[in-house]
Amino acid sequence: MKYNSLNLELLKELQSMLAVPIKYDEETLERYSRDETAELKAVKPEVVVFPVSTEEVSDVMRFANRHLIPVTPRGAGTGLSGGAVPAFHGIVMSLEKMNRILEFDAANMMITVEPGVITGEIQKLADRHGLVYGGDPCSSESSSIGGNIAENAGGNKVMKYGPTGYHVYGLEVVLPSGEVTRLGGKMIKDVSGLDLIHLIVGSEGTLGIATRITLRLLPKPKYSVALLIPFPDIDTAIAAVPKLMTGSGVVPTSLEFMDASSIKAVCSFLNMEFPYADAGAHLIVEVEGSSKDSVFDDYVKLGESAIEAGGLEAFVADNRNTREKLWKARKSIAEALASISPVHCMEDVSVPMASIPELIKFSEEIARERGLEMIAFGHAGDGNVHVSFIKGDMPEERWNEALPLALEELYAKTTGLGGCISGEHGIGLKRKKYLASITDRAQLDLIRGIKRAFDPSYILNPGKIVDL
Amino acid sequence: MRILVLLKQVPDTDEVKLDPENGTMIREGVGTVINPLDLHALESAIRIKESGEHELTVVSMGPPAAEEALREAIAMGADRAVLLTDRKFAGADTWATAKTLSAMIGLEGPYDLILAGEKATDGETGQVGPETGAMLGVPVITYVSRIIEVGEDGIVVEREVEDGRETWKVPYPVLLSVTKNVNEPRLPTLKGKKKARNANIEKMGSEALGLEPSTIGLMGSPTRVVKINTPKLSRQAKLYEGSELIEGIARLKALLKPYLEVNHE
Amino acid sequence: MSEIWVIAEKRGTQIHSSTYELLGKARELAWKRGSSVALALLIQERPTEETFRNLFRGGADRVMIAVDKSFERFDFGPYIRVLKEMVSQRPPEVILAPATTSGRTYMPGLAALLGTGLTADCTGLDIEEGTGNLLQTRPAIGGNIMATIKTPKHRPQMATVRPKTFSPLGEVYRERGEIVDFPVRPELVESPARLLKFDSIGEGEKGVQDAEIIIAGGMGLRRMENMAPIYKLARMINGTVGASRKIVDSKWIGHEAQVGLSGHTVKPKIYIAAGISGAVQHIAGMQTSEFIVAINRDRNAAIFNFADIGLIGDATEILTQLVEAMELEVRK
Repeated sequence: MKYNSLNLELLKELQSMLAVPIKYDEETLERYSRDETAELKAVKPEVVVFPVSTEEVSDVMRFANRHLIPVTPRGAGTGLSGGAVPAFHGIVMSLEKMNRILEFDAANMMITVEPGVITGEIQKLADRHGLVYGGDPCSSESSSIGGNIAENAGGNKVMKYGPTGYHVYGLEVVLPSGEVTRLGGKMIKDVSGLDLIHLIVGSEGTLGIATRITLRLLPKPKYSVALLIPFPDIDTAIAAVPKLMTGSGVVPTSLEFMDASSIKAVCSFLNMEFPYADAGAHLIVEVEGSSKDSVFDDYVKLGESAIEAGGLEAFVADNRNTREKLWKARKSIAEALASISPVHCMEDVSVPMASIPELIKFSEEIARERGLEMIAFGHAGDGNVHVSFIKGDMPEERWNEALPLALEELYAKTTGLGGCISGEHGIGLKRKKYLASITDRAQLDLIRGIKRAFDPSYILNPGKIVDL
Repeated sequence: MRILVLLKQVPDTDEVKLDPENGTMIREGVGTVINPLDLHALESAIRIKESGEHELTVVSMGPPAAEEALREAIAMGADRAVLLTDRKFAGADTWATAKTLSAMIGLEGPYDLILAGEKATDGETGQVGPETGAMLGVPVITYVSRIIEVGEDGIVVEREVEDGRETWKVPYPVLLSVTKNVNEPRLPTLKGKKKARNANIEKMGSEALGLEPSTIGLMGSPTRVVKINTPKLSRQAKLYEGSELIEGIARLKALLKPYLEVNHE
Repeated sequence: MSEIWVIAEKRGTQIHSSTYELLGKARELAWKRGSSVALALLIQERPTEETFRNLFRGGADRVMIAVDKSFERFDFGPYIRVLKEMVSQRPPEVILAPATTSGRTYMPGLAALLGTGLTADCTGLDIEEGTGNLLQTRPAIGGNIMATIKTPKHRPQMATVRPKTFSPLGEVYRERGEIVDFPVRPELVESPARLLKFDSIGEGEKGVQDAEIIIAGGMGLRRMENMAPIYKLARMINGTVGASRKIVDSKWIGHEAQVGLSGHTVKPKIYIAAGISGAVQHIAGMQTSEFIVAINRDRNAAIFNFADIGLIGDATEILTQLVEAMELEVRK
């Protein structure tokens, strides 16, 4: 693609339509050319803009169309696939200043927000009103809802509540042309026209920019209990997942797993101890309910089924002290990983649940063959595994050689198991070339066709997911 | 050996409300948990208990809802739990609390080893432990960061103070208050939880303890909260927002400039 | 005439600065109450004349010293027995001690023996008009609340105060005063506790407690990497990095940097709170700073109520801009 670049005059024009100063100093450009994807090769934008209203977003898109300048929309910059960093310079549109809660509608159990609101703030607000927002990515304290929607973020409560898309009922979207459209609303049912909301959700900011978001809230369960269950090995742990559900008749809210290396990493990072630290794997199983007694019955059944299925012990965290400690460990693995080895590659493959052990064993093998270190953790209940390769002390040249080969093998294996290469982090820049190699032609053409229908001049987040 | 752990129950919430009348905490309606710093005392006790033939009791003074916190202690490994509960205990300050606890210890005693957390996360005074020790007339070692040896004739501990680390050896009976560095508290097991659910929590009131009403609760407390206030604007901040931010940053820069020059001369 | 007592804090054989801070406050209360100030010093060897002079200059009318080698390191039993005996010989109206590891141990012990009340970590002390009662103010948990506590019917009235809460007397009070030697009977200092070892670690390098400028970070920074401009600024102006409890709990920084009730009380010339909302526990640890700058994106954050200037916006961004502006200044 050939785009125009921004000269001083264009920058002036851009500034004239925006309330907040645009930025193009080196440090800002550098900062907005990165997200949290380790080792990503992206390019710097020429300017970063901070719109504060739908109108401003729309004006910038019209401007970009007029002058043929690419626009990369961006939330809080916590992405893990390079979705919010430019592939072609141009404009980075940061939505961080559109961070207002527009309406809290208790009667309809709906909340309407701007895209820059931090997800954790939505969770806290809902909580104060006795409600729950079901989306819960590990990054909830720092990621914004707009970004969650772009990636259809999953997280820890997908078992019960589903990923981000399950909670989105209404969207105001600025299309790449600058036109504004409103999709859905506060209706729970809606088959009037195509389900464009769920085409936008997960489209990684390539089809439009959500500027007003209506989310459904649910009643908050009064009690939650988390169980920590060590297993001798990954196989037993994963095989126990369906057994503990059918054995107990309970659908947990969360069902997470951590392998021995993950536990080791997080314990050293947080300077904490874990029981059975040398076990092959740990499951965290969380269950919610409306009364203490019912939750007790549920967790006892879950725990006993888990032990029957080979669990070494079941530890119970049923209050603030202990639950926070457990979840802190689970949610800190990514940070722990970054502290052990800033150079690493956290993957996001998703397979049918029962295939997790095979996938992990295979990953261990390819890591061993190539001299890489590896840890694995993720969402056992939904088959989403964060296989992560670690560079450690390996010389850079060898890492650069070994990693792509390992990834190719990992993705091939994932597809072979009937899985997909990203469950919740997205394709972005990081996995673009791999997606093209494993997706059939008809589907790739369809994706391209949809992109063209939305964005004929190819200016909104170009170079992501697939190339035209 | 007989081991006793002093536990305080604190509300299982971050948002605590105060009674504007007397400044005491409103505890109704929220569950209770063991004060997080007391968990370290409990963990120390459980480890000692597991190392030999020892009996481990936990005690707490509080409303009936504190049972929940005591059940957690049993789930973790305590043998028995005693709840000192009586309407007359309400409003106790640290002195009256220590008085009540030491009456129970006097009645049941002697205990060879008494453990307490450094302080509670709600009151943050850390006074009940040493006050209880003084009332019982036993040696007190505070800020224990490591238990080095639990011997027949005494215990060897390390304590962390401002200018270094001290190692003490003290014969029993002794009261120790521990910091969070001493260990990592365990999670209760499913088996422990099931056992704790039906465990008997022994209850004692002021009569059973033989305490005069004038020595307990609010009546027996030497201190009184006389005023609660939200601190008034002690400073009138000049606020910079939006387009004025640049001005604010310039002011901050001017404020720090002298230090910059000093440092770069 | 009844006295206000301060119990001295020492390091080795040196008087610790917190002693002079409390003498300053005690002197102020004594003027208001029309009473005098006495200092109690438990120490392993008799102090020098200069030490005595400093104590008088700092606000004491009378210095009581108990000399015994068992006072080399703090031991609960001997301390509370000797102090109790001192009190019984000439009961004071008020006893103040620093809230250090030893002060926070012997003061409760002494209060228990004397059957009186004790208030921990006072941030304000005053004399009530009319009754002459000591008004002890300390932060209470659960929002921005300060509780004022009295000990109406019991004497002495006892309080601990964290180091750096009050200031030493600004002027010389007197050059000479009364020195009273307290005879230490052996049975008072008998103790079953034995000190086996002491490893001195010093009090470390310049920590937050002694810093002139503190730039403290809080959860509003959202991510550990966003601390970067704080470290950068601290290097440029020779400041010290501080922290709220939440980011210490999140292991972004060590506990030694923590400012607040469960960390250090600080009193720098300039305190910059970046992304700190201002929980009462934090405020309690920094409100006596000379000049307070608050940076927070939430304009309703409590911290702005305690600041001299407030910048409403993203702390990382604002500090980054500040650092850039200061770098330009350096180049000039």
